[in-house]
Amino acid sequence: MRRSRAGDTAVGHHVRGIGALYRRRLRSQKCPHGLGVGPAWFRQVQNSRKAGTGWVYAFAMRVIGVDIGGTFTDLALYDSGSGATHVHKVPSTPEDPGQALVTGVKELCAQAGIGPEDIGAVYHGTTVATNAVLQHRGAAAGLITTRGFRDIVHIGRHQRPQNYSIMQDIPWQSKPFVERRHRKVVTERIVPPQGDVLVELDEAEVRQAARELAAEGVGSVAVCFLFSYLNDAHERRAAEILIEEMPGAFVTTSAGIFPQFREFERFTTACMNAFVGPGTGTYLDRVADALSQEGVPGKLHVMMSNGGVATARAAAEKPVTLLLSGPAAGILGGQWAGALSERERLITFDMGGTSADIGIVTENGVAEASARDTWVAGYPLLVPMLDVHTIGAGGGSIAYVDEAGGFRVGPRSAGARPGPACYGFGGEDATITDANVALGRIDPDRFLGGEIKLDRELALGAVDRLAEELGVGRYEAAEGVITIANANMARAIRSRTIEKGHDPRDFTLVAFGGAGSLHAAEVADSLGVPEVLIPPYPGITSATGLLTSDLKYDQMRTVFMIEGSIDAERLNRELGELEDDVKSSLLEDGISDDDITVTASLDCRYVGQGYELRVPLAQCRFDESALAEFHRMHEQEYQHAMHDPIEIVNLRVTAIGNRPKLGEPQLSRGDLVEALLGEGESVFRSNGSLDVLPTRYLDRARLPLDEQVPGPVVIFQRDTTVLVPPAWGATALESGNLLLTRRPK
Amino acid sequence: MSVAETRVDPITASVIGGALDSIAIEMGHKLARMSYSSIIRESEDFGTVICDAQARQLCESPQSTPLQSGPIPGYVRGINRRFAEIGEEWKPGDVVMHNHPYYGSSHGPDVGFLVPVFVGDELVGFSGSTAHHLDVGALTPGSCGIVDATDAYAEGLQFNAIKIEEEGKRNEWVWHILRDNIRMSDIVVADMQAQIAASRIGAERFLELIDRYGLDTVQGASADLMDYSERVLRTEIEKLPDGTYSAEGKIDGYLDHADPAYRDLPICASVTIDGSDLIVDLEGTAPQVDLPINMPFEGTVDIAIYLVLRSILLDSETHPPVPTNSGLFRPITIEAPEGCLANPRYPAPTIARFVAGNIIAETVMRALAPHMPEAVAASVGNLKVIASSGIRAGGHWVHMDIIEGSYGGRYGKDGLDAVDTLYGNTRNNPIEDIESHLPLRVTRYELQEDEAGAGRWRGGLGSVRDVEFTEPGGFSIEADGNKWPPLGLFGGKDGTAGSIVLNPDTDRGESLPSKIPYRKVDAGETIRTVAPSAGGYGEPTERDVDAIREDIIDGFVSEESAKRDYPQYREA
Repeated sequence: MRRSRAGDTAVGHHVRGIGALYRRRLRSQKCPHGLGVGPAWFRQVQNSRKAGTGWVYAFAMRVIGVDIGGTFTDLALYDSGSGATHVHKVPSTPEDPGQALVTGVKELCAQAGIGPEDIGAVYHGTTVATNAVLQHRGAAAGLITTRGFRDIVHIGRHQRPQNYSIMQDIPWQSKPFVERRHRKVVTERIVPPQGDVLVELDEAEVRQAARELAAEGVGSVAVCFLFSYLNDAHERRAAEILIEEMPGAFVTTSAGIFPQFREFERFTTACMNAFVGPGTGTYLDRVADALSQEGVPGKLHVMMSNGGVATARAAAEKPVTLLLSGPAAGILGGQWAGALSERERLITFDMGGTSADIGIVTENGVAEASARDTWVAGYPLLVPMLDVHTIGAGGGSIAYVDEAGGFRVGPRSAGARPGPACYGFGGEDATITDANVALGRIDPDRFLGGEIKLDRELALGAVDRLAEELGVGRYEAAEGVITIANANMARAIRSRTIEKGHDPRDFTLVAFGGAGSLHAAEVADSLGVPEVLIPPYPGITSATGLLTSDLKYDQMRTVFMIEGSIDAERLNRELGELEDDVKSSLLEDGISDDDITVTASLDCRYVGQGYELRVPLAQCRFDESALAEFHRMHEQEYQHAMHDPIEIVNLRVTAIGNRPKLGEPQLSRGDLVEALLGEGESVFRSNGSLDVLPTRYLDRARLPLDEQVPGPVVIFQRDTTVLVPPAWGATALESGNLLLTRRPK
Repeated sequence: MSVAETRVDPITASVIGGALDSIAIEMGHKLARMSYSSIIRESEDFGTVICDAQARQLCESPQSTPLQSGPIPGYVRGINRRFAEIGEEWKPGDVVMHNHPYYGSSHGPDVGFLVPVFVGDELVGFSGSTAHHLDVGALTPGSCGIVDATDAYAEGLQFNAIKIEEEGKRNEWVWHILRDNIRMSDIVVADMQAQIAASRIGAERFLELIDRYGLDTVQGASADLMDYSERVLRTEIEKLPDGTYSAEGKIDGYLDHADPAYRDLPICASVTIDGSDLIVDLEGTAPQVDLPINMPFEGTVDIAIYLVLRSILLDSETHPPVPTNSGLFRPITIEAPEGCLANPRYPAPTIARFVAGNIIAETVMRALAPHMPEAVAASVGNLKVIASSGIRAGGHWVHMDIIEGSYGGRYGKDGLDAVDTLYGNTRNNPIEDIESHLPLRVTRYELQEDEAGAGRWRGGLGSVRDVEFTEPGGFSIEADGNKWPPLGLFGGKDGTAGSIVLNPDTDRGESLPSKIPYRKVDAGETIRTVAPSAGGYGEPTERDVDAIREDIIDGFVSEESAKRDYPQYREA
């Protein structure tokens, strides 16, 4: 069995701020004044200003969110003056992803009837850094590290990724970010607990190493010294020398990325940054240039893995913070949709062609992964990121009977080519999409707004071959594919919630992506989740998510202080320093002081434990109440609190720069007669048997508002298909969401 | 192939199989995060498992190390045997503590906590965890490197099916015994409580699963899943030609012992393929000794063999995933003459059996190598475990480091460098964690250059690690492979044996054997461990010249040895 580390996270930490903003806005919308006066966004701005957040520069801002996926580049434009939202999709250009971005922006402006000069900002979700890691295509990078420790990044934690394998590869050995020839050691040593200098940095050795690296053709260097999280003076000095000796080089320091203990993980993060840095910087420069050539005056911003956006300038320095750029935007889009309907506890479920991403949102914001246990492409990565859990289940996941007779669905995928059998590109295997077609849950003529015509006969052929192997009927096989896929997804969601002390029955499932809304009701059913929200634009939720995020910077410091000898004064002094640091980043980005919110937290554990829980600090200041809160959180997380002293491991500070966000979509009313597109038959399991039921096909855009439509129905819109099973009903809400709920028996 | 005869439909079986896995994962996750000692939380030397009422394993946490999760069914069988002897039985609300190596336990420090799962009066399964504890009250500090224990009584406390909680009531007296007889008992007791909590969570989740699907369905699906895993393994065994294949390995034993019966001990394995059955016979393995390198037959020897066979026959890199359950054990029979190192008689000591077990796994792999040349590695570099300790104001401190080995060359690939090998798969401790909490300073941790066996695909490199005591303390070590180097395969050259040196590069330097009982050290003294570099695979003359050049540029191989070992490089 593989040791799957991707997204395997320790504990549920929370990004504060975003959720709180929504709460404030939603409450204010309920106030009588402002209702019916002007467009939605104007109301929000007015009320928000009353609430003291003061989005002064928010008027008449036009912003674009661009999410570049493997197949399509999705765009959303929001005009805060008119409250109008425009969405668009163009084919991606994988060779030069920026090309699709620029084309899309131009076309979207034309569609909205505005010029590029009207665009105030472009927010971008990018996979450039991610692909550089996945494809191992990056810069020739070098490493300068403490003498005696040349191979920390090669030995790692000396653990094999797989328990049961002779032939496995270890990514950091078979595909190192820095080859051993470019790993140089220099004399220096910092020691705990205070970060004292035991051995001075030998600057001549650094200079010599820099010359060697330059001669070897290295243009990007990571400086990684032991205990630099306690004292980064040597790393900073070495970086200065490198820049002197190697003008134009891309220099990364391990403490500069994230000053947290655990040397293998921190060094690897820095080396990954050195590896992807030059390419990402070049890409972002090119996109920014192209946009300004098109006449777009607004700055380019990039979505980071932590759910905030940074200016392209800041992002280019730390491209390792962009690796989950796309999925993070998806969660934010889900959170936005939840906020429209005043739901705070959400499970976001983004299911596409090859995989499904799951995120958790609570009243404390989006759950963040523990920086200690985050992995990307098999490499550890010590940067803050939202807790996105990805599983290999999408429309293209293949169902098959293996050599020993086991029935499996995914993670093998038919991808875009050949794709599901019903695409008619030569795929032979039955996929989840084929099963949905066979069961009548996808109308072959209305898939993706009719852009791709599906072949029902090919789907049935693939399902029949599977049924024969399984020795069951056609519908049993097709329904079995869906049941197994749904169970896999429900299990992943369960592991994200129950393991963290949350009960999924208290949550709303927000389903999007091309396939999310086909599976959402049945997944919710098996988890006991009572309701499902389908956002207004499920197929481009990530692009809309980009328009709902704030500028955000994180900083942290490892301290190691034990209850009984906690130096509160020092803690608060260091918190103040970190606060100044993150605030100055936002001020540099042009955010005014009034628009900045700073939050702080402590990573704590009982003395002797190895994993921390994140305890929020009121007013960014430490006092004893934080320790009581830790006991409470430990009890919630592990059903178990101890009486041992508490150790404070890290201080964390986050600064958020508020900016204008996507408002409510504008909807028109319809009625069921207008909405009815036709009727068909679909297959559902009830009380153990499979029934073929007459099923109405409805057009989402013309549904009546606030009127529940009982299942079974299939609801179509351009970018997705929504399945409402027999026991469920669907209601179009004024907010633009579609709400699915279980009907009373 | 079509679906085999099953008790439950394959869809439900698949859903239940996934649910069982996620129970074990949740148990492991909670245990790692709640525990205190670095050997559990950082090294991940623990296991979590759900078993059915017949003590058959249904799932395991992939986070656990195979040598911890694999033995858990044996713990349950051992407890059952003990209960039968004393007229006891499982009752709802019990928590049973167990570590008896002659009743199914892996060895004394790996203490298991088992919770029975009842539906009404019916015992339907067990939820259990094992973990390596820092100390179990042996003759010197720590629970490894106890290499001078002469019998099982010297290895520390023996728990043979002890009801530490009986029908829901805590047995406080047992906790008192633990606190009074174990060094650093605060940490050990907290780790044990974390284990109990994890086992309880597993039991709750298993009951929820039964509630949801019904007992018959869960039992049917479990049986189907075990049949499935068995079938998968049998399919692979059947592909091998019938016959008996043998290999022999050597362990150092006690290199400085006066009596040759303790040195250079043979480990023999013959593997017989008979259709889809596979029989491993360890006849020829050295007789047991009265020092603790004997290996419990159940709990160590069996797991070493299952592990290596699974890693070769169902390699997770090249084979689709297969549920980990007792079905994987069914095609395999293991035999070892009573009284040999691999099947000792009580009370022969076993606490330092770890490194020897790796050679059993390795020897079985070599026996099969000629028939599966593309699935095996040349010989691995063996491991070392070091217990460092001392006394500070707060009492004892003990720290255990597992020093990695290396893998031999493989078909198409060089060996893995500096990793834990075969049935162990722990993690090292971050240097920044060690130095922040203990009076130790790591002054070097790098690859050992130029010692790997040459070959068409060369062996993996071992590591060199220097650790200095910054306060007076003591240490003990159990290791192997200081004398016998990892062997080459198919013409590949042997690797290089490991070494242990006290105060290297000083005039106090002292070379030490692979078994070192507790000895004191002063502040400023340094222990250097050099891991063996592994064997090469295939004729060195067939190695690609570019690969040799790259190795030289990266410093894995020196110019001199490249010229010596590879004529094609000399000529090019």
